[in-house]
Amino acid sequence: MSKTSVSVRIENVTKVFKDVKGKADVIAVNNANFDIEPGELVTLLGPSGCGKTTTLRMIGGFELPTKGKIFLGNEDITFLPPNKRDTATVFQSYGLFPHMNVFDNVAYGLKLRKLPSKQIKDKVMSTLDLVGLKDLAQRAPSKLSGGQQQRVALARSLIVEPSVLLLDEPLSNLDALLREQMRVEIKRIQKTLGITTIYVTHDRVEAMSLSDRIIVMKNGIIRQIGSPNLIYEDPNSKFVAGFVGKVAFLPVEVLEIGETCKVKFEEKTVEVRKFSPEMSPGDSAVIMARPESLKLVDPSKGMIEGEVATNIYLGGSLESFVTTDHGEILVQIDNPAEKKVFAEGEKVSIAIIPHLAKVLPDKDE
Amino acid sequence: MIGLYSWRKLLSFALISVLVFAALFWIFDTLKDSFLKVVRDNQRQLVTVLAESAPRDKELAEDWITAVNKEFNEADIIYVHGVPGWDELQVFTPNEQLRTFYESNYSSEDFEKALESVYYLENYYSSLEYSFEGKSVSLVLAPLIDETRYDMTGFLVFLMSAEAGENYTNLLNIFMIGAFAIFAIIYFISKFFRDPIMGYVIMGLFLMVGIFVAYPLFEAVRLTFLEDGKFSMQTWITILSSKQYLNALWGSVKLGILTASFSTIIGFIFAFVINRTATRGKKFLSTMGLLPVISPPFSLSLSLILLFGSNGLITKQILGLKDFTIYGLGGLTAVQTIGMFPIAFLTLSGVLQAIDSTLEEASLDLNGSRWRTFSKVTFPLAIPGVLSSWLLVFTNSLADFANPLLLAGSYKVLSVEAYIEVTGRNRLGHGAALSILLLMPTLTAFLVQRFWVSRKSYVTVTGKPSSRLSDLVSKPVKFGLITFIVLFIVFILGLYGTIVAGCFVANWGIDYSFTLKNITEALQRGRDAIVDTFTLSAVATPFAGLIAMMAALVIVRKKFAGKKVLEGLILAPFAIPGTLIGISYVLAFNKPPLILVGTGAIIVINYIIRELPVGVEGGVATLRQIDPAIEEAAQDLGADSTTVFRTIVLPLIRPAFISGMSYTFVRSMTAVSAIIFLISAQWYHMTVLIYNFSESIRFGLASVLSTVLIIIVFGAFGLMRLLVPKNEYMEKNVTLN
Ligand SMILES: Nc1ncnc2c1ncn2[C@@H]1O[C@H](COP(=O)(O)OP(=O)(O)OP(=O)(O)O)[C@@H](O)[C@H]1O
Ligand SMILES: [Mg+2]
Repeated sequence: MSKTSVSVRIENVTKVFKDVKGKADVIAVNNANFDIEPGELVTLLGPSGCGKTTTLRMIGGFELPTKGKIFLGNEDITFLPPNKRDTATVFQSYGLFPHMNVFDNVAYGLKLRKLPSKQIKDKVMSTLDLVGLKDLAQRAPSKLSGGQQQRVALARSLIVEPSVLLLDEPLSNLDALLREQMRVEIKRIQKTLGITTIYVTHDRVEAMSLSDRIIVMKNGIIRQIGSPNLIYEDPNSKFVAGFVGKVAFLPVEVLEIGETCKVKFEEKTVEVRKFSPEMSPGDSAVIMARPESLKLVDPSKGMIEGEVATNIYLGGSLESFVTTDHGEILVQIDNPAEKKVFAEGEKVSIAIIPHLAKVLPDKDE
Repeated sequence: MIGLYSWRKLLSFALISVLVFAALFWIFDTLKDSFLKVVRDNQRQLVTVLAESAPRDKELAEDWITAVNKEFNEADIIYVHGVPGWDELQVFTPNEQLRTFYESNYSSEDFEKALESVYYLENYYSSLEYSFEGKSVSLVLAPLIDETRYDMTGFLVFLMSAEAGENYTNLLNIFMIGAFAIFAIIYFISKFFRDPIMGYVIMGLFLMVGIFVAYPLFEAVRLTFLEDGKFSMQTWITILSSKQYLNALWGSVKLGILTASFSTIIGFIFAFVINRTATRGKKFLSTMGLLPVISPPFSLSLSLILLFGSNGLITKQILGLKDFTIYGLGGLTAVQTIGMFPIAFLTLSGVLQAIDSTLEEASLDLNGSRWRTFSKVTFPLAIPGVLSSWLLVFTNSLADFANPLLLAGSYKVLSVEAYIEVTGRNRLGHGAALSILLLMPTLTAFLVQRFWVSRKSYVTVTGKPSSRLSDLVSKPVKFGLITFIVLFIVFILGLYGTIVAGCFVANWGIDYSFTLKNITEALQRGRDAIVDTFTLSAVATPFAGLIAMMAALVIVRKKFAGKKVLEGLILAPFAIPGTLIGISYVLAFNKPPLILVGTGAIIVINYIIRELPVGVEGGVATLRQIDPAIEEAAQDLGADSTTVFRTIVLPLIRPAFISGMSYTFVRSMTAVSAIIFLISAQWYHMTVLIYNFSESIRFGLASVLSTVLIIIVFGAFGLMRLLVPKNEYMEKNVTLN
């Protein structure tokens, strides 16, 4: 299964569903643009109904864009039907063929390609081996567990050696433990084969742990594209910041913008190194504070006063929930053994580690 | 699909279309020309021959002109004796109209030219168009030259019918436009559709319903507004002001109301006992209760006649009644109720099953009496179902043709009246109008049932039928109901037994001695009909099955303009009485461009079109339960539409496919109402033969053929049960007639 990997490019793609029965049209995807490098694993992340599935289905050929173009490598595939394009989709509901056993399900694509049956048999068995289902070849899909079905679907797609693998929330039907196992499995197989992969999910942990890059969407609009690192530490909006991790937003006013950003928080002036460029002095903004970009200090020594509500020990770290005027704020303390710990009920002050926080415009959630 | 268009593609499409159109036009124009030339040559030859052979003696002219006009119908001919300008002209015509025509045109400018031309002994071909008796004709004058070769004794006037040529050129035009349209559509689909195969399927379905549903119905409606080729309301005025026809309409409606009411009551009793009481042998009772649904037409009427007719076993032999007659409203209501109560039974069973019986139990627990529980809980919940079943039976009763044909006597119903108009009185227009009249109440009831009652149902569905069943009625009531059911079933079985007995009786009503003669005679005389019916049904079956499944796939999975129209036209024959379909087929396919009447093809097509709705509905219901991702996955792996259909869709909807096919087969074997208009000497139908035997009082023969039909029907259903062990679609669908 060696094949040179292929890039995917989406150019100004818009999808409008003309809604039947007099309801308004739905703009499922709004002028999307992105590039996926060969061999890369990219996730489409966003809340329900934001257009992830629609985007994936347009790449797979199951929906036609209302506007825009889709390229596989250099080939314009916008109007090619699914059976003519070199993509393979693993559907959210798997779509296994209920009237065929596991072997025939996986062999389906090869039979269409009219391979000799000996070769089909060998390939199917080795692919089933890859996903760990060698012993279940003769089972009916209905007699498999969710995780096994998911792996059959994966094997069925992988066996035709597509240039691009499309996965639509493949793990959403599985329980937490299995989900974690399968995540590792998918990543392993993807890296082994070096296959360009687009993965749809609304689970940020899944996105963070799997992807080379994440595309965050909301209401059909792509909000940010970047590595998990970048998206987490340097989000471009309150929405992205909130969607990819725990965060507190402290309301501030922008005072000055230069190398750093000076903001006013409750009569105090704070200097923050990271900030969105589109703000100007006088704007209202927020400081995005992740739990690990905050620390606890003695009362009135920090920025925000409060009282520790709950402490949760997690071994290597401690999570302190502090009640403040700005709601409950979570502070993460790494290596608590080496630091001063405030007990539940104690008054504390929260300080910001300036190079970890970021100032964002106070727009949308 | 928008994005698939580009200017270059559109331009090349337009260009090629224009080229093809030009080529086609050229071909057809040449054809037209050469044909017209042949027609003209024939005409000239006729003129020459007749001008040569006409008698110069005016004494013989009278006889000659009559004979000649009788012989040649491509022209009307006038004989004129005398030389124009010199003699008094004497005109000989076979009829007065021709003389009038001659006299009224004699002084026209064209005629003057013509007379001048014949005076110089030359034939004259007028370039003007004349009209004679509503038809357009062309005028030819030919001199009658005497033996001197220099003088004339008179001349002939020919009114050449332009019709033959016109019909032909019209036909050619239709073919040319048709050929171009088909080319353009196919070319368009292959160029602009992402999935051309589906495009062709959709186009094929549109063509099919366009030609075989919409076009005949249109022709039927059109005919009712025509009189002598012109628009007229005369047919409708006649129909709607005639007592006889209105009587028939009222007769149909009255019969419908009676049958629907009785059937619903009996159906409800069956459904109630089987779903709401703890009774043993329910399975047997319900199978027996469904039996009449698949009994062939005429069989119940036939056995009713055998038992209660003027020579009936019970009425005459046992009771010795003199004035009793089974023919008429009473007998019809009885036979229709027996044949159609299973529809009510099935509908109401479904409704009662869907009502959560815990509601009833709650009422009983609250110390509601059984009667209160039934009248305040069960029955109100079942009302939409009751209405629905009433309307379904009503529709069926109105559309019923076979039973009234045998049993109506002097009682008039519309379906039979329409048949008599067409076959007995040869008034197709009236027949069409009557069957359209019949469509009105049928369609109304059907639409009300479909879109109003079935929506209003407030049945509470829990998904899991409650296993506990407490009796909703007291012991004596229950006993009474069960006795009623058992007696009813015994009666039905008795009817079937009568038919079988009829096979072995020498002469029912007179001589009850045992004989096998009926069997040999019936099989001998009916052999061709049996073979025909079986062959045609067997040919129609796989087509109907496949087309139904394709149509279901298209309806459920594809988006395209006009889908609602397509769906409507595919399902329409479900609600249209067979009589109307039969008449409209006769009207539409007995003339160019499609002359099919008399062929086996029209019968097969009629089977397919009429039974398609049930297959489609079964397919649609099954497909709706299948995750579209399954088909998408197959396509994703490289399968084109045909492969997806063959390897994925068809195997998954196999139950619907098989039951659709067996349904088509059985219904085709037992069809009457439309088929009776379409049979011919070459292709006969068993059911019609049964009718003919009954009409000529050969009840023994009719019994034998009915029994054969019953055996075939049961065989087909048995086979289907073997292939699809648990079959829900069938039971839902074996209802409409
Ligand atoms: N076939 C369709 N017809 C009409 N509207 C549709 C269709 N498919 C999707 N939509 C609409 O388009 C929008 C985006 O849908 P999409 O399925 O892409 O969301 P999603 O991000 O995959 O959501 P989820 O996480 O719930 O799967 C939604 O508002 C949805 O209602
Ligand atoms: Mg989705």
